[in-house]
Amino acid sequence: MTEYADELIRDLLRDGLSSEEIEGLQRHEKDADRFAQVLRLEQERLRWRERILLCLQEHLYIVDKGDGSKVVRCDCGQEFGDYRRNWKESALVYERAGADALAVYRGPRVADPDWSILREFYCPGCATQLDVEVVPRGYPFIFNVEPDFEAFEGGEQ
Amino acid sequence: MSLQERLRERDRRVADLGWYEERLELKERDPIGFELLYSKMVQLVTSAHEVARRVSASPMSRELGEIIFGLYTPEGDAVALSRGLLIHVHTMSRMIKWMIEHGYEDDPGFAEGDHYFNNDPYIGGAHCPDQMIVTPIWWEGELVGWAGGLTHTPETGGSEPGGFIPFARSRFDEGLFLPCVKVAEHDMIKRDLEVLVERGIRSPIFWLTDNRAKITGSQMIREEVKGLIRQFGVDYFAKACREYIEDTRLAAEQRIRKVLPPGTYREVGWRGSVMPGDETLLHGPVAMTVTREGRLSFDYEGMSPAGRHPFQGTLPTIEGLVMNVAIQHLFYDLKHNEGVLLAVDLNVPEGSAGNPPSIFYPTALWGIAYGAGLASGQAISRAYYAKGYREEVHATSALSSAYTAGGLDQYGRPFGAHNFEFAAAGLFATAVMDGLDTAGVEFNPEGEMGDAEIWEQMLPPLYLSREIHIDGGGYGKYRGGNGVMSLYLVSGTNDIEIGGFGAAPIYSAPGLMGGYPASALYMWVGSRTNIHRLIDEGRPIPSGEGEDPANPDFVRMVEARWELIPGANRPARPAREGDLFTAMTGDGGGFGDPIERDPDLVRRDLENRVTTHWTTRHVYCVAIDPETLEVDAEETERLRRARRDERWRDGVPAQQYKARERERVLSGDFAKPTARMFHAVLGSSEAFRRAFLEFWGLPETWEMADPDREAEEVA
Repeated sequence: MTEYADELIRDLLRDGLSSEEIEGLQRHEKDADRFAQVLRLEQERLRWRERILLCLQEHLYIVDKGDGSKVVRCDCGQEFGDYRRNWKESALVYERAGADALAVYRGPRVADPDWSILREFYCPGCATQLDVEVVPRGYPFIFNVEPDFEAFEGGEQ
Repeated sequence: MSLQERLRERDRRVADLGWYEERLELKERDPIGFELLYSKMVQLVTSAHEVARRVSASPMSRELGEIIFGLYTPEGDAVALSRGLLIHVHTMSRMIKWMIEHGYEDDPGFAEGDHYFNNDPYIGGAHCPDQMIVTPIWWEGELVGWAGGLTHTPETGGSEPGGFIPFARSRFDEGLFLPCVKVAEHDMIKRDLEVLVERGIRSPIFWLTDNRAKITGSQMIREEVKGLIRQFGVDYFAKACREYIEDTRLAAEQRIRKVLPPGTYREVGWRGSVMPGDETLLHGPVAMTVTREGRLSFDYEGMSPAGRHPFQGTLPTIEGLVMNVAIQHLFYDLKHNEGVLLAVDLNVPEGSAGNPPSIFYPTALWGIAYGAGLASGQAISRAYYAKGYREEVHATSALSSAYTAGGLDQYGRPFGAHNFEFAAAGLFATAVMDGLDTAGVEFNPEGEMGDAEIWEQMLPPLYLSREIHIDGGGYGKYRGGNGVMSLYLVSGTNDIEIGGFGAAPIYSAPGLMGGYPASALYMWVGSRTNIHRLIDEGRPIPSGEGEDPANPDFVRMVEARWELIPGANRPARPAREGDLFTAMTGDGGGFGDPIERDPDLVRRDLENRVTTHWTTRHVYCVAIDPETLEVDAEETERLRRARRDERWRDGVPAQQYKARERERVLSGDFAKPTARMFHAVLGSSEAFRRAFLEFWGLPETWEMADPDREAEEVA
C-alpha cells in the first residue's frame, strides 16, 4: 500500500515539490491515507483549536466549531459561516468588466462584457483572491462544493 | 440469439443487476493468461493505429494523431483502445449499437469483409468531420466482436470549407453525411461511393485515404484477433472480453470511493452562438455528485436549449466527453473500455444543446457540449482537492480555434480544409505547477500541432510566424499554458476564401480557486497589405503579435485594411495574395491568486519571453529590473500589499453587491446575448428557475421578458 512521508506531503501542500516528485505522485497508486494525513498536517500548521474537517479549496477550510456547527474559515482566521451556505455570500465581490478588465487583459484579450465578465471574490480578512468566476452579469454565485458529511461518517472516510 | 436480442439482454442485465459480468472467473483462475490476452489486445489496436497513420494522406491522421482504433464486443461495447483521439472510443460503440438496433443484422447484413462508415453525430461522433469505419469479426459462423477506427477529416463539403462550419444554421450546412453506410464488401472499397466523395467535397483525398487507413487498421485488428482466438479459444476470448469490462467497472467504482469525497461539486462552462441577429450566450452547467456507495453522476440540468447554431453537441458527444475526462483524470491506469461509463451516471436534458430534439440541429462546433465536458473535469478537480490529492487538481483546458480555407490551391486544384495546429494548445495550470505551453487538448491528449511545412503543402497560406501566445494562459499562482498564435500570408492563389472558427467574445478557459481565465479568442485579418513591397524593399516584416496585443506588431508594421474579429468566429470571405491573417490555438486557465506567484517563476517566464514586463508589474505585482531581471523583493512586497489594499477598497460586501445586482435583474438590464440565455434557460429548466429566484430573492410569479419579443414590439 502506498504511503508518503509527512515531509513530502507537507512540501506538496506548500509548493515545495520538483516536477519529478509531482510526476512520482501522479504515477503511483494513490495513497489511501492522504485525506487524514493532509488534515493532520494542516491542523499542525494552522494550530487551530477547532478540528479541520475538510480542505475546501486554496486558503479555505471547513472546521468543526465544537458547538455542533461546521463553518468555512480562511487560513487568516476570517470566517464565512455555515458550510451549507455558499462562502461567497460572505466574501468581498468585485465585478471586473470593460475598462477595469483592461487592468488585467490587454487589447482584444478582454471579453465583451455583454457576454462575459469576471467576478472576483476576496477574503474580507486578508484580501486574498479566492475565486474568479467567469459569468454573465446577473448570474447567481456558483456554489462549487457541498460536501456530504453524513456520507463521510458512514463511508470509508 | 440475434445480436439485437443480445444487446437487449445486455442492457437489461446492466440496468437491473448493475453488473456487466457476474463473476471474474478467468481473472481469478488464470490471472496471468487473463492479463496477457489483454496486453495483446492493446498491442494489436496500437499497431493498427500506427500503421493506419501511415496509410492516410491526411496530415490530421499522419502528423497530428487525430485517429483511434478499438476492439468491441458483439454488442458494441469497447474492450480495448489504442492511444489517440480518446473522445471517440465511445462514439464508435454508439454506431455499432445503432446498426444492431436498426436491424442491420438482417439487412444489409454483417458479413465478413463488410466495412460500415458513419459520420452522423446523432448516431456516433461529434460532428461531420468525425468519420468512423467498423467491421465485424467472425469466427466459425459466429460474430465475436467488432474492430473499428475513427479519423477526423479536414473537409466535409459543407456550406463553407473545412468541416468546422462556424455559421451552420442546420445540419444541412455541415456537409456530406453517410450514416452507417457500407463502404466496402469483401474488404474491397466500393468505387461508386468513392465517386460520391470525389464529387461531393472540396478535398476528397483526405477523406478517401483516411477510409483506406481505417479499413487497413480494422482488417489488421480482425485478423490478429483470429490469431488470439486460435491461441486462447473462442469461449475464453468472449468471456475475457466481458470480464475486462466488468473488471474496469469494479475498479472504477473502487477508485471513486477511494479518491473522491462524497458531496456535490458544481461548475459552469460557457460558449456563445454569434449567429447574426441571434447572438446568444450558451450555458453549460454541471453538478457532479459522489455518493457514499461510490456512484459518480454528472447532471447537466440547466443546459441551454438547442438552437440554430453549430455550438451544440449530441448525446454520444457528451458521453464520449465524460468518458474522455474520466479516463484522463480518474481512471488513467485502468483498462480503458466501456466499464468506465458503466461506473458513471449521466443526465443530459432532452431538448438541450447537449441532447438536441432532432437531427436538424447542427453540431459543427459542438461548443457547449465541450464546455460542459471540460467543466466536469473541473468538478473532479474540486473533489480531488478536498481529498488532498493536489497533484491531480487543474484549471480548464483551452477552447480551440483555427482558420478555414477553400477555393483553388497553389497547384490550381479545388481544395478546402481547416488548419488543426490547435491540437497543441496551452494546457491548464494545476494546483502544483504551471500549465504546459503549446502542449495538447483535452479531447486528444496525444495530439500534435504538425510541422508548418506540412500545413503549407496542404493549404495555400504561408506561415510568416508561429509563436507562443505570450501571456495567453490565465494568470495565477500557477499560470495556464500559453497556446500558439500564427501569422499567415495568403500566397500562390487569388481564388481563395478564409474563415475562422472559435467562439463568442467570452473568456475562453476559466481559472480555478483564484486563478484567472485564459485570454478571449480573436482573429486579425489584414487585406490590401503592402507586405510584398516591404519584402521587395528588404524592410522589416512582422514576426507575430509582439508584446502588446493592444497594438500588435503586424498592425504597426504592415499597412493594410485591418479587421479584428473578437471570438475568432468568421465566415469564409474572399482573400487575395498578400493578405495577412492570424489564428490562435487557445490557452489554458490559471490556478490560485496571481499575487501569490513565486517571483522567481515570473522572472523565468520573462527570460523565456512567455510573459511581459507589463504583466509582471500589473498582474503579478512583481518588481523586476528590466535590464538585469533581478527581482526587487522589497518593492514586490509593497506592490502586493498595495494590490490587497485595492481589493479591500474596491471589493463590495457580497450582500451589498447582491442588493445592487438584484435591481439589474428586476429591471431586465441585460445585453441581448445574456438576456437570451437567461430567458431560454429559465423557460426550459425548472430547477435552474428555482435556484435563480431563490438566489435573487424574487417572487414565484416573477418572469423574465422575452428580449426578442420586446424588440419586435418596439419596432
